[in-house]
Amino acid sequence: MLSTFLSHQRKSFWRSRNRGGSIAAQVVLGFFMLYFLTVAVGIGFTMAMFLPEVFKGQDIFKSFNGIILYYFAIDFLMRLQLQELPTLSIIPYLHLKIKKSKIISFLNIKALFSAFNLWPLFLFLPFIFTEVRVEYGAFATIMYVVSVISITIFNNYFILYLKRKSITNVIYTLCGLVIIAAFAALEYFKVISLMAASDYVFRAVAQYPYLGFGFTLAALAIFKLNSTFLASNLYVEELGSKQEKKVSTDYAFLNRFGKVGVLAALELKLILRHKRPRSSVLMAFFFLFYGFIFYKQPLIDSDSFGKMIFAAIFMTGISIITYGQFMFGWQSAHFDGLLSNKIDLKDYIKAKFLLFTIASTIITLLASFYVFLSPKLLLLHLAAYLCNIGFGTVMILYFATMNYKRLDITKSASFNWQGVGATQWILGFPFILVPMLIYMPFGLLDMPYWGLFAVSLIGIIMLLMRGFWVNFIVKRLEQQRYKIAEGFRE
Amino acid sequence: MILEVKNLKKVYGDKTVVNIDHLQIAQGETVGLVGNNGAGKTTFFRMLLDLIRPSEGEVLSKGENVMQSDNWKNYTASFLDEGFLIDYLTPEEYFTFIGSLNNLSVADVAAYLTQYNEFFNGEILNSGKYIRDFSKGNQNKVGIAAALMQKPELLILDEPFANLDPTTQIRLKKLLKEFPGNMTTFISSHDLNHVTDVCKRIILVEKGRVIKDFRTDENTLKELESYFSA
Repeated sequence: MLSTFLSHQRKSFWRSRNRGGSIAAQVVLGFFMLYFLTVAVGIGFTMAMFLPEVFKGQDIFKSFNGIILYYFAIDFLMRLQLQELPTLSIIPYLHLKIKKSKIISFLNIKALFSAFNLWPLFLFLPFIFTEVRVEYGAFATIMYVVSVISITIFNNYFILYLKRKSITNVIYTLCGLVIIAAFAALEYFKVISLMAASDYVFRAVAQYPYLGFGFTLAALAIFKLNSTFLASNLYVEELGSKQEKKVSTDYAFLNRFGKVGVLAALELKLILRHKRPRSSVLMAFFFLFYGFIFYKQPLIDSDSFGKMIFAAIFMTGISIITYGQFMFGWQSAHFDGLLSNKIDLKDYIKAKFLLFTIASTIITLLASFYVFLSPKLLLLHLAAYLCNIGFGTVMILYFATMNYKRLDITKSASFNWQGVGATQWILGFPFILVPMLIYMPFGLLDMPYWGLFAVSLIGIIMLLMRGFWVNFIVKRLEQQRYKIAEGFRE
Repeated sequence: MILEVKNLKKVYGDKTVVNIDHLQIAQGETVGLVGNNGAGKTTFFRMLLDLIRPSEGEVLSKGENVMQSDNWKNYTASFLDEGFLIDYLTPEEYFTFIGSLNNLSVADVAAYLTQYNEFFNGEILNSGKYIRDFSKGNQNKVGIAAALMQKPELLILDEPFANLDPTTQIRLKKLLKEFPGNMTTFISSHDLNHVTDVCKRIILVEKGRVIKDFRTDENTLKELESYFSA
């Protein structure tokens, strides 16, 4: 029976309507997985070498034991965000003469096919087999392995359980990240140490290997919990995300903008009520930390803004890029309605500018915490911000008029290539390159602050010309609207 | 003339989907468009609403080409398919949105909606659902009510009776027949009974061409039935 299920799954993949797209997505996804698995293997085998490097002057086993629980905490959050529920696809079987338990075990087995379940093995097993075996002997080694596998399985089914009960939310992931960061900070200031706790637990496993079965018990318990929950809730409408009562909302702060505000509110609801636009906007918050990679002290000290402006543009403008690249496409399902209603295209375009400006402003304000690295960065951000809302928005909307691809926004965002075309790839270049090119001559002449001024100036000039640009894009949209509407109907 | 179509043509590849030489609809008429699948009804409606660029010819609304001016939007309301609904809104939000485009306040909209309680059958308002969570029939009702709410001079509906339950079909007929004011109605339908009942004029299309254009009387239904059974 299970093999029949699996063969149906295979067929549904190969025979799906947009096969090309999903295969391409799978291939790219496959490369990513391969890449990460290779990285995991690499880290796994070199762990014995670099652990003493990272945690200087600390016993290597203490370090190893210490990172295990940290890893699984992060693993938990990643799964919360990325792991998908293997639900659907069972609907046609529910009314047939197939035992419920069969269907449930199919769902359970299918859930194991996830890259998340492989990483910990690649990461931890090499060290366990080489170092732990020598130090603690065969039995302890086996129990280490059992523990790692058990925690993996625990995480796997615990996430599924949480997702089935629909108590997940991007906000929770963010909270989790903050909590982990807090623990790391507390660790750093030596207040509370999760590492010590993790070390304590695994040292106990090393000493009394039987304790490792504790993890196994926990994993079994959560597996059982998950299966029981499935058994009593095997109804299609309960398997997916739970239906909560929807309420009408009104964004009072947008009302002052009149009709433009009404349209902006409409789009804000679109973003908040669909997974794909929501996650593409929320991504902006994760990218807030991007600066830590680029803003190095020597660069800041030498005013080398040229090497940092990329990160600044990207951080303050990411919401414009990720949301704007599919502009109009987000509304493809009701584009006909928008066109045939009494909506002034000018207001429509202005609403987009308004949203971009609000989003970009919020992100830029949030990014001001980089002031702790150096107040200069605020100037850099300000220049990038002005350039983004002045120049970037116009460019993105102009390119958007060349996008005729319908977008199904109810699907999830990660690794979803539907609606992606050449324009999306080209789009990022001018957005980021133009400000860099403007800055470059000043950077070469060693006038970094004049460079920032020039970048800001371009932004301000474009902002002052916004009325002109709105008309320009409206004209363009008017020419293109039949083509766009036709593409969106498909 | 609230609507005038001149030499309107739409060609896809080598196939002519719509080909109408001349057609006039006067203020206050109720006109039904009938024809089999592929007769070009929806394409024709889309061109009336400036959603598809005609290959040739023009659509004039009160004498103005719909492609060149937006004035027709001030007195035209339409519902062709779910693509006209914004499906992630609650019905209340959608009505308020459409209302705000026509300068109706939230209170105006609420007052207007009370007269539709019967039509909605208690399933639409305060249901705690987004429009996308409704059945097709109920989505239809939302679209039709939103169109009527705009108090249009010209109302265009594509197969309004499809997906509706019998009770609602009868209520809709009553609504269309009795709607106050000097409204021009242009609807398409596959249901010959309903369309002859509601409309005073029937336009029969086949392969994009107007085959017949006549006023309804007691023989119309028979005539249409014999045409379609041939």
